[in-house]
Amino acid sequence: MKTIINVSMGVVLILSISILMRQQLAGAHTLIVTARYAKMAPQGLDDSIWNTAQAAQLLVEGREPVVGAPGTVTTRVLYTDERLFFLFKWKDPTHSITKQSWMFNGQKWVHLKGNEDRIAVLFEITRINKFATRGCAITCHSPADVPRKDWKFATKTDDEKGDLWHWKAARSAPYGYADDAWLTVAGNPTGSYRETGRRKDAGAGGDVKNETPDGIRPFYMQNSAVKPSVPGFLLAEEAVKITDYSIFKSGDIIPYRLPLKPSGSRFDVKAISRYADGGWMVMLSRKLDTGHEDDVVFNPKKRYSFAIAVFDDSGSEHSKATEPMTLLFSH
Amino acid sequence: MKKLNRNQTDTWSEMLALGDIVARIKGLRVPADALTWHRFSGSLLLVLLVLLFLSGAFMTFYYSPAPGAAYDSVDYALFSVPFGDVIKGVHYYGWNIFLIVMGWHLVRAFIVGAYKSPRQLLWVSGVLIMLLIPALIITGDLLPWDQNGFWTTQVRISIIASVPIVGDFIVRLIQGGPLTGIVALTRFYVLHILFLPALLIFLIVVHFHFLKVRGLSGPLFKKESQPETISFFPRLVNRWLLLFLGVTMALGIISWYWPAPLGDPADPTDSTFVPRPEWWVLFLNQLVTVFKGPLTVIGSVIIPGGLVALLMALPFLDTSPERHPARRKTVILIAVIVAVILLGLSITGYIEHFNENHA
Repeated sequence: MKTIINVSMGVVLILSISILMRQQLAGAHTLIVTARYAKMAPQGLDDSIWNTAQAAQLLVEGREPVVGAPGTVTTRVLYTDERLFFLFKWKDPTHSITKQSWMFNGQKWVHLKGNEDRIAVLFEITRINKFATRGCAITCHSPADVPRKDWKFATKTDDEKGDLWHWKAARSAPYGYADDAWLTVAGNPTGSYRETGRRKDAGAGGDVKNETPDGIRPFYMQNSAVKPSVPGFLLAEEAVKITDYSIFKSGDIIPYRLPLKPSGSRFDVKAISRYADGGWMVMLSRKLDTGHEDDVVFNPKKRYSFAIAVFDDSGSEHSKATEPMTLLFSH
Repeated sequence: MKKLNRNQTDTWSEMLALGDIVARIKGLRVPADALTWHRFSGSLLLVLLVLLFLSGAFMTFYYSPAPGAAYDSVDYALFSVPFGDVIKGVHYYGWNIFLIVMGWHLVRAFIVGAYKSPRQLLWVSGVLIMLLIPALIITGDLLPWDQNGFWTTQVRISIIASVPIVGDFIVRLIQGGPLTGIVALTRFYVLHILFLPALLIFLIVVHFHFLKVRGLSGPLFKKESQPETISFFPRLVNRWLLLFLGVTMALGIISWYWPAPLGDPADPTDSTFVPRPEWWVLFLNQLVTVFKGPLTVIGSVIIPGGLVALLMALPFLDTSPERHPARRKTVILIAVIVAVILLGLSITGYIEHFNENHA
């Protein structure tokens, strides 16, 4: 009799705890993306270790004028004791790796179309009110009755801070990183953006506009004495001032945005990318804890709200974004 | 030196006027099987209760009962305070296991007929304790101010509001207004950390009072010889401390590897969130689902209330002195039927809410 009681007690406890575990993993209504633990860091886009991470199909949808054309970003996430790795894969029919390049038409310099492909990921450094349930919509102050030019990408209060990883095919990919920025309240703009809550992380990076003070032609060209370290791109550190414009012939193209060598906190998010078969594969990785105040700290015991936006050869008005999602870590 | 220590102890006992109590505790004898491998659920419940009180008290140091700060304070206590996740985990797993062990305690007492004379009020006080625990869980669930806690509370409040005559009054009383906001959170907090624990302690004292006066239920078959006894202090206390240590370590390890969940922050404007019922209310949830519209009161009040009334009245309905389950076939059969129905409802509820393949 005693043995039966003991065994019954054990079975009940084990079953009950199993149910509890199951319930804990069930999650909420938001889409859960799970980061799997890996002993070794993935060595690139094609590393077989990526197969150990479940592929999440994340729906991205846009507003006007790209409404009604949803896409999918296939996402896998891994983490090691030191770093977090994302692998994004999405269809993009146009391989756009330039941004408003200059072209000489025989008479004058004109800007070409082309606004580069991009992917951006937004996390919370400190809690952004309702970001977990509304996602990027809560940081994009874009009510219907406000003109598009007045839309702001920002948080509502000083206490709310976001961490923005922004991979840009023309401006950050050549140096193998995603521009690491952070989000706060709008005002006191820096850089070339309109008034916004976007702030650059500490350090160097980004790009410079390649134009003369009057803005009618390029100012820099590739230094002929230096072999381009990234073929097809003009890096600011490898550029020289154009002294003689007569050397250019009709149809010559010079990049308009010149990537700057990144460093510091702005260079925290490393990137590997490839365009093939009508789509992008981008791997982003960052230390779980960079030690920088302008970065989210990833604690594998915690859950993190985040959202993703992709840009197909376009500026901010053509972005397609996901609903808010939750990142969980699974050992 | 020994003599000096003894004198000091005696002096302290006298100074504190505890001499009589210490002597009584030292002289107290309890049955040898009061805490053994086959009878430990009551002691385990006490261990879990102490852990729940201690972990809860620790969390109050960091908790801020305001909608704008509650979630962040819990998040901070969980992930920024050293071992905060372990403490929260002990609290979270503690009450889940408490429910399981309490259920087992009740089932065991029922099977061995421990509710029978002269222990009727021991049983009744135990049932009252069992009824109080859900109130502690319900008030505690709202405190982290996360999506699941917030929307689960909305469901519970709507069920309470469906109770005829007193439903609206109870909702107003616990919520302090038409919406679940800062007043509701404050009231839930005060109930959770003050009034309900005080009531629980009172009921436990009553339970122990009857336990001491009426004694533990003996073996099912009467033995010729006198039951073996051991000293309450130090032997029983040492066993209990050993159990306490083991359970604390086990819960600590579980909490370390599987931290207690904390969902997304509550968004009262996000009505798309559909909370999933906790495992222990799955059968109640199914009852409410089965009886819809004007019949809701049957599932939310009449059937659960009837079951509680039946439990309370059990010692006064089954008055035969026979304790062996094989000779109480009618009572056992009724209990099995009720248990099967409740289990069936829980399983269907689980499939409905947790099986992702269920359409």
